[in-house]
Amino acid sequence: MSNQKKRNFQIEAFKHRVVVDPKYADKTWQILERAIHQIYNQDASGLSFEELYRNAYNMVLHKFGEKLYTGFIVTMTAHLKEKSKLIEAAQGGSFLEELNKKWNEHNKALEMIRDILMYMDRTYIESTKKTHVHPMGLSLWRDNVVHFTKIHTRLLNTLLDLVQKERTGEVIDRGLMRNVIKMFMDLGESVYQEDFEKPFLDASSEFYKVESQEFIESCDCGDYLKKAEKRLTEEIDRVGHYLDPKSEEKITSVVEKEMIANHMQRLVHMDNSGLVYMLLHDKYEDLGRMYNLFRRVTNGLLTVRDVMTSHLREMGKQLVTDPEKSKDPVEFVQRLLDERDKYDKVISTAFGNDKTFQNALNSSFEYFINLNARSPEFISLFVDDKLRKGIKGIVDVDVEVILDKVMMLFRYLQEKDVFEKYYKQHLAKRLLSGKTVSDDAERSLIVKLKTECGYQFTSKLEGMFTDMKTSEDTMRGFYGSHPELSEGPTLIVQVLTTGSWPTQPAVPCNLPAEVSVLCEKFRSYYLGTHTGRRLTWQTNMGTADIKAVFGKGQKHELNVSTFQMCVLMLFNNADRLSYKEIEQATEIPASDLKRCLQSLACVKGKNVIKKEPMSKDIGEEDSFYVNEKFTSKFYKVKIGTVVAQKETEPEKQETRQRVEEDRKPQIEAAIVRIMKSRKILDHNNIIAEVTKQLQPRFLANPTEIKKRIEALIERDFLERDSTDRKLYRYLA
Amino acid sequence: MDRIDHLFNHYANRSSSHLIDPEGIEELCSNLEVPHTDVRILMLAWKMKAEKQGYFTLEEWRRALKAMRADTISKLKKALPELEKEVRRPSNFADFYVYAFRYCLTEEKQKSIDIETICQLLDIVLGSTFRAQVDYFIDYLKIQNDYKVINMDQWLGFYRFCNEISFPDMSNYNPELAWPLILDNFFEWMREKQA
Repeated sequence: MSNQKKRNFQIEAFKHRVVVDPKYADKTWQILERAIHQIYNQDASGLSFEELYRNAYNMVLHKFGEKLYTGFIVTMTAHLKEKSKLIEAAQGGSFLEELNKKWNEHNKALEMIRDILMYMDRTYIESTKKTHVHPMGLSLWRDNVVHFTKIHTRLLNTLLDLVQKERTGEVIDRGLMRNVIKMFMDLGESVYQEDFEKPFLDASSEFYKVESQEFIESCDCGDYLKKAEKRLTEEIDRVGHYLDPKSEEKITSVVEKEMIANHMQRLVHMDNSGLVYMLLHDKYEDLGRMYNLFRRVTNGLLTVRDVMTSHLREMGKQLVTDPEKSKDPVEFVQRLLDERDKYDKVISTAFGNDKTFQNALNSSFEYFINLNARSPEFISLFVDDKLRKGIKGIVDVDVEVILDKVMMLFRYLQEKDVFEKYYKQHLAKRLLSGKTVSDDAERSLIVKLKTECGYQFTSKLEGMFTDMKTSEDTMRGFYGSHPELSEGPTLIVQVLTTGSWPTQPAVPCNLPAEVSVLCEKFRSYYLGTHTGRRLTWQTNMGTADIKAVFGKGQKHELNVSTFQMCVLMLFNNADRLSYKEIEQATEIPASDLKRCLQSLACVKGKNVIKKEPMSKDIGEEDSFYVNEKFTSKFYKVKIGTVVAQKETEPEKQETRQRVEEDRKPQIEAAIVRIMKSRKILDHNNIIAEVTKQLQPRFLANPTEIKKRIEALIERDFLERDSTDRKLYRYLA
Repeated sequence: MDRIDHLFNHYANRSSSHLIDPEGIEELCSNLEVPHTDVRILMLAWKMKAEKQGYFTLEEWRRALKAMRADTISKLKKALPELEKEVRRPSNFADFYVYAFRYCLTEEKQKSIDIETICQLLDIVLGSTFRAQVDYFIDYLKIQNDYKVINMDQWLGFYRFCNEISFPDMSNYNPELAWPLILDNFFEWMREKQA
């Protein structure tokens, strides 16, 4: 019962009495040897596995493990030598098939033999640390078959040959390839790599070297890239079908190197088909392909990006410095917007919105936009054009889109303060002539500018809008309190707060009596409600609508400037007037008067006045009379121009000078701000900091900064350090 | 002491106030056999720490002559070479250079000196040691239009320039550093001439 030790059941199959017979081992081995032969000869069906296993077991048990092991090796080796002769004898295509067949047979045999010798595997081999049966079987195959000199090279060449055939378009037995190559893999990673993979990669490298050279001589860029892509896909496919997955990266590297990396420059720069051609002709597919292929190689995308950047810069530079293109500012800016749209589309469609390409696009635009000093002015004129009434078919949404695009260009400007100056001028003209397409659109742009540049940029602009609104209310009040004035000429006054509007010197001018009476009434009304203010009439900014009747009774309404009105009204009391008389009566300064008379007398279709002599220019001896024969198919004739125009050369100089003057205090303020907080700073750092602080408005010139520093030294805001003259010190 | 005062009175007796005035200085110069515009007179003024150009006070006179151990004209004359050596010592020259500029600020609150005077002053003060630099710079000052006057900062800048920058190659001059702008412009002008 409990005393009885439990005995483990052991099924000992067919245990018979073992007699240590010296010949025992030999006899047993012979049985096994014969069995191995039969197995190899595909004649194993009559064998009893169980009997063979027992024999092997007994040999090991009776300490004949070594004999068994050695015998196994010798026998197998002999067989394999024989097999390799057979394989070697195979001709042509059957070589590989024979090899494959023998390999499969060997594997099957090896498995069976391993099973029979399992006990030896687990005991004798374990303790003696010898190679196990299965790996030994593989090594024997490797040494006697694969590395058999007559097979080794031939095998490799056959395989490479097949790959080559497949590359040239022939169909090969992929299954066979897979099996043979798997054989290499089964024999061990180093066998695969040494005996197959490395030579394969070398041969592929050669192949692609030659092929890429051929292609590059005969194909254009787009076609070449298509071919390269095709080859790449093929190789990946090949790996998937009959190579070790680890080879994929290696073979694709070879293709990338030979087909792309080695020819990168030549491809990108190819005449009439390379990158520039593709960009110019919107070849999105080709560009996308180039992007995908080049990103695989070192510096591939860098190369593409560099060529794109230099092309953009060159194109941009030509665009902005071409005098033809600067004739029409609106065209100029539209062209810039179109180019930007175009390249934006390229980057989003073909380059996957790659940020580095976006940055290259932006930096290129920033570079060339600032090459033309008139860019800020032109952008303002473009905006002016879009915000004026009379653009057919423009809807609010469209205007928004355009303004957003304009903001993009604005960001590229280095001289944002110049833009501000022009924008203010143009906005003033728009507001005063009542020609803005919508108040909302104007305000929307101001909000965008404010977001971009801060409150100070736009605070004065907003003042302009307020004045317009307030003036409307004032007019209502004026006419409300003077009902008797509803008869007679109508006066519309805009009261502008100095400081919010671009400064204009007041120009003297004698208004016609009817008008000046009204003006006086307004003045007293206004000053009555606003004490302590001073009003100055800006006669050079006003307009007038006057009704005229000509010789044959033609009636027209003329829309003119205030100056022109003054001149025309004179002809109510005189048929003919000389220049000097007009000058005296109106007191308008000579240059303004000449311009005014020119627009009244010398412009075809608008010459309500005639001049003698009929020369092009206004001379001080000229005389003028009404053009009784004046005709126009329109009732309303517009003569005065208050439209914003591209500045003339002298005007441009003047504006530029004003901008430079405005910059001086800004630079000084920046210097003082920086020095106040740092107390001591060296020269180079001051320049850098000041430039950085002013960068949102304009690019500060180091020489100008130096001048301002010296001015501040003279005014005792700063001093040079007495020992180190590179340093400046803030003087409280 | 008496002899020094006595000597002073000799030159001061022409003016109504008890000072040696410009006329007196002229006489002094001829007695010393030194030209009126000679740098040694300026050096004498420096030694005196004279405050007002063209005038010497008794205190200033005493200061210099006592230090120079001169109580007669001939002794004063003999002491001049020694004075020059003293001023030209590097430790003193910078001070003398600054003094020379201040000495020419004749009006109250004046901070700058007109170009013509500066040219003369440069010649007197630096002419013997930095002949080439002074000559070229004077040429430049006369033809440029950016500056009508020179201030102390620019004056000192030029001295630094003479001492630190090899001339006429100016290979170690860098206009991007803290040199006064007028020297940057001078540098550009020189470069254009050399091209």
